[in-house]
Amino acid sequence: MKMIFRFLKPYRWLCFFTILVMLLDVAGGLLVPRLTADMINIGVESKNLDYIIGKGIAMLAVTVFSGAGALLGSWLCADLSAKIGRDMRNAVYDKSLTLSAHDFAQFGTGSMITRTLNDINIIQQSVVWCIQMVLPVPAVCVMGVGMAFAIDTVMGFLLIAVTVLIIVLAVLVTRRASEIFGRLQKLLDRMNVVLRENMTGVRVIRAFCKERAEEQRMRKAFEDYADTSISANLLFAGLESAAFFVINICIVSILWIGGDRIGAGYMEIGDITALTEYSIMILFYIIMAQMVIILLPRARVCICRIREVLEKEPEITDGPGMMRGGTTDAQSGSERAEKAVGKETVCFQNVSFRFPDADEYALSGLDFVCRQGQTTAVIGGTGSGKSTIAKLILRFYDVTEGAVRVNGTDVRDISQKELRSHIAYVPQKAWLFSGTIAENLRQGNEQAGEDEMRRVLKTAQADFVSGLSNGLDAHVSQGGTNFSGGQKQRLSIARALMKKADLYIFDDSFSALDFKTDAALRRALKKEVADAAVLIIAQRINTILDADQILVLDEGRIVGCGTHGELMANCPVYREIAQSQMKGGKANV
Amino acid sequence: MSENESAVYEGAEEFSVPMNPVKAILRLWRIMGRERIRLVIVFVSVIFYTILSVAAPVYSAQIVDLLWRRIREAVENGAQFHVTWEQGGEQIMVLLLIYTVTGILYTFQSFLMAGFAERLSLELRSRIGRKLNRLPLSYFDSHKTGEVLSRATNDLDKMSEVLQTGLLKLFTAVGMVIGSLIMMFRFHAGLTLIFLAFTMLSLVSTRLFAAKTLQYAMRRQQAASRVTAQVEESYSGRTVIKAFNQEENSRKDMREAVEELAETSRKADFLMNAVNPFIRLVNRLGQAVIAVAAGKLLLDGVLSVGVFQAFFQYVYQASEPLTEAAYMINSLQSSIASVERIFELLDEKEIRKDPESPAVVERTEGQVEFKNVCFGYTPEKILMENISFSVKPGEKIAVVGSTGAGKTTLINLLMRFYEVNGGQIRLDGADTSAMTYGGLRENFGMVLQDTWLFDGTVAENIAYGRPDASREEIIAAAKAARADFFIRTLPKGYDTRLSGDAETISAGQRQLLTIARVMLCDPAVLILDEATSSVDTRTEMEISRAMNALMKNRTSFVIAHRLSTIVDADLILVMQDGNIIEKGNHRDLLRMNGAYADLYNSQFA
Repeated sequence: MKMIFRFLKPYRWLCFFTILVMLLDVAGGLLVPRLTADMINIGVESKNLDYIIGKGIAMLAVTVFSGAGALLGSWLCADLSAKIGRDMRNAVYDKSLTLSAHDFAQFGTGSMITRTLNDINIIQQSVVWCIQMVLPVPAVCVMGVGMAFAIDTVMGFLLIAVTVLIIVLAVLVTRRASEIFGRLQKLLDRMNVVLRENMTGVRVIRAFCKERAEEQRMRKAFEDYADTSISANLLFAGLESAAFFVINICIVSILWIGGDRIGAGYMEIGDITALTEYSIMILFYIIMAQMVIILLPRARVCICRIREVLEKEPEITDGPGMMRGGTTDAQSGSERAEKAVGKETVCFQNVSFRFPDADEYALSGLDFVCRQGQTTAVIGGTGSGKSTIAKLILRFYDVTEGAVRVNGTDVRDISQKELRSHIAYVPQKAWLFSGTIAENLRQGNEQAGEDEMRRVLKTAQADFVSGLSNGLDAHVSQGGTNFSGGQKQRLSIARALMKKADLYIFDDSFSALDFKTDAALRRALKKEVADAAVLIIAQRINTILDADQILVLDEGRIVGCGTHGELMANCPVYREIAQSQMKGGKANV
Repeated sequence: MSENESAVYEGAEEFSVPMNPVKAILRLWRIMGRERIRLVIVFVSVIFYTILSVAAPVYSAQIVDLLWRRIREAVENGAQFHVTWEQGGEQIMVLLLIYTVTGILYTFQSFLMAGFAERLSLELRSRIGRKLNRLPLSYFDSHKTGEVLSRATNDLDKMSEVLQTGLLKLFTAVGMVIGSLIMMFRFHAGLTLIFLAFTMLSLVSTRLFAAKTLQYAMRRQQAASRVTAQVEESYSGRTVIKAFNQEENSRKDMREAVEELAETSRKADFLMNAVNPFIRLVNRLGQAVIAVAAGKLLLDGVLSVGVFQAFFQYVYQASEPLTEAAYMINSLQSSIASVERIFELLDEKEIRKDPESPAVVERTEGQVEFKNVCFGYTPEKILMENISFSVKPGEKIAVVGSTGAGKTTLINLLMRFYEVNGGQIRLDGADTSAMTYGGLRENFGMVLQDTWLFDGTVAENIAYGRPDASREEIIAAAKAARADFFIRTLPKGYDTRLSGDAETISAGQRQLLTIARVMLCDPAVLILDEATSSVDTRTEMEISRAMNALMKNRTSFVIAHRLSTIVDADLILVMQDGNIIEKGNHRDLLRMNGAYADLYNSQFA
């Protein structure tokens, strides 16, 4: 709840005004029967047509006034809903940008998307419903009962009794219904999951001859859902019937007791209409409010899910310091070339890393240095922790033990922005953004001109771009799906090369390239990034044969370090990898 | 893995129109079977309910008039009036009786319908469930999952809701409107005409509103799709955004999209919110005019006080269903359209039934023969022509070729996911098309490129083919598939729950689990369709070592794009455009210096 108020706070006047306007509508609704009753009471007795016309005009005025209130209220509600929806989405998105990869993975991409879109929709809707249907209820009850008291005290008490009875009824039903609806939502999700699995897994299901078992699994999910639906329907049918009875008994009581009171001269005959209308209106508002309240637990779940995101403490926070001795922006090119050789760009000092909720270390005791002008390669099996190394350098994760230094500075001492401005990264999954090729390339360097782009594309072996009908302005669809895997990788490499950096990381970035392109690309790269440090993470031996230093990773440990020749001679794991990839089992260098 | 539904707003999808409503309704009627009697009872009950509801105000009008007369008499006589059994009390109690009976009828019919609609949904849903298992694979290959899913959930829920409340409402509304109008005309024709005039006004404006609302709802839907796309893209590409320090730009893009959504939402929401107050406004204006006119008539003595009040009750009773009619017809139409879509799914062509006296292969050896097999995904477009080859028990067959060459098609035919258009496939000499699906498929173990795991624990997933397997057997299978190590690093080990959304395990790890699943089944013939594509070469080698042990004395079909894994195959089939263009072992094919040699050299040069 606190969170909702946080988002409503900027608009408290809007809220206040909305409620005020909604009350106009309610008051109008209660005044019309009053005027009708007056018409009957006085008009009929005094036989005065002018009086009746006067009341008629008053009725029109009240109707127009309250109608305008209701319409204005609708607009204000829509406005409020749009504003809090917008603010929440922006807040969630801003927050997501501060979360580390691990923080984010705890929510999961799918869940984060649902939270940003659907959950906020539900919250918006619930807020509007509350304002429109729940908040007016006390006003309706108080005003209705008040009007009844104005007619006659006994009638006032009668209406209080009716109101209390309906509220008790509604509370009882709501309690039960919230529970049933909670269950129903879970069963609906379950039904969706089972059905979806049956469609996506149709080949596997049939291959294992599991059709019967799956039918039973589905049937079970369907039956549970139907049973719970029926109990929900019965509950509502019961509530409606009960409300029906209450209101009828109320009308009959008004007639009986009212007749008596009229006879005793406490009220007029026309008041019977007014009282009947009041009680029906009170009933109507309470039942509507109750329907909304039943749906609120769903909104509460959504609010909790949004709050989880907004209150998540980012695991990785910026350090206060500045990087010492970065080469990229501090010095000019010629100076850089002079001191190019041998400077330690990346340094892992006894680094161990474990995911916060895992038992086993993903990386343990890593010690190595990447030097300027040199190529360092990392090779190892799936799950050996190769990509984690890149993520530690970029500070997508923080080390559990030890330290990672870039240009001699511990990555935790500086801001993430500054750290990343020194690194160009090609991720394992080549991801392009929707837009044009040029827009994607400019992410590496916002000021880059066309010539620069063309040159880099050439280096990245992505000459195919010039063959596209729009060249650099060719359309890229979301994720880059309109390009082949190899094309995507080359564009993703080009994007990284646009950036002038001290360190270039290629995380398994050549896997979709054929061997010829791979080789050509590596030759071109050598020239392009000669004065920077290069880290290549790979599965293919060919990609890393001529690296200055190769690290062999196995189950999170370095089991070999050296050049290809050295490793072939004395690292059994490396030899195994090599043999698994070489023609006919023989090395092909 | 997870398919995310984009944020769908109400409004846009509410306007589908059925093709042949009568046919759909008749068919639904037949499906109801014995439950139909409920509907008949409800219908009868509704008739009585409507008559009583229409009669009640007349009766209460008489009571008010009676009370009014008695009170005036009493006042004239200077006495106080009290309601007693004789003095109006009897009539009031009769009114209570009328109300009570009406209430009981209402309760009765709501309770009957509460179960009726859900049971009908359950019946149709189960039919869809069974249908899914009898649809040919081609159906799943050509339809989106979400589309089919919404048949079984949204469409059925819509139908159920309409049957439950909509149908009852429609029945009563029609009776109520007709009855009320008759009574109103009997009271006073002029007043009734005023009422009808205002009702027409609100009906017309409702239609205008609906059209405008649809227009804005669609605009909002577009804005929502844009936000959805933006959110999906940014979340999926967040690593890149961060690595390239693009947070500011991305934030700006997001703000723009979100602002546009807020802008269109505001308008669409306003229109949707405003319909009801607007109709109420028109109705109330009408009521004010009627009140003045009726007041005049009251003065002239044409109307009695009781009739005046009764007339107003009829105004309420008739105006609500009339103004709701536009929406009711919309929802009725779209629900019939939903029912039609469900029937369309149920009418889809099914796979062939199992033969009555099927061919049976006992203790399968694993001898497979393709004999002049012809096949096309559509009969007009034959993809494969006269494919023939034979495999001896225990041999390893590799199928290679570029994407779309027909490698997977070959497997689809072998497993009878698709039926051949000509020729025969034989397993140990028996024509596979003469066997039952079950009898045929239990001989194969399949590992596919896209890994399918269901919402359950790791252990349950591994034991999918053999639910009775012991924990030891499961762990042994996982060890053999090199999956044991990573499973133990999961929070709850073998009891970790795998649900679609949670990205607990990587693609490669998912693949290892599906391999373990097959290992546990111990089938006669193995099929590996790019099974190790998301596993690195060394792990692949380790798995294939385990596989080799498993493949001993077993026929195996391997589809791979990395040729390193298949150089030792007994028979390599090179496919292109659906046909086999070369076959032989590695050495022979290299010597031929054809397509295979090209492919091989491109990968290893």
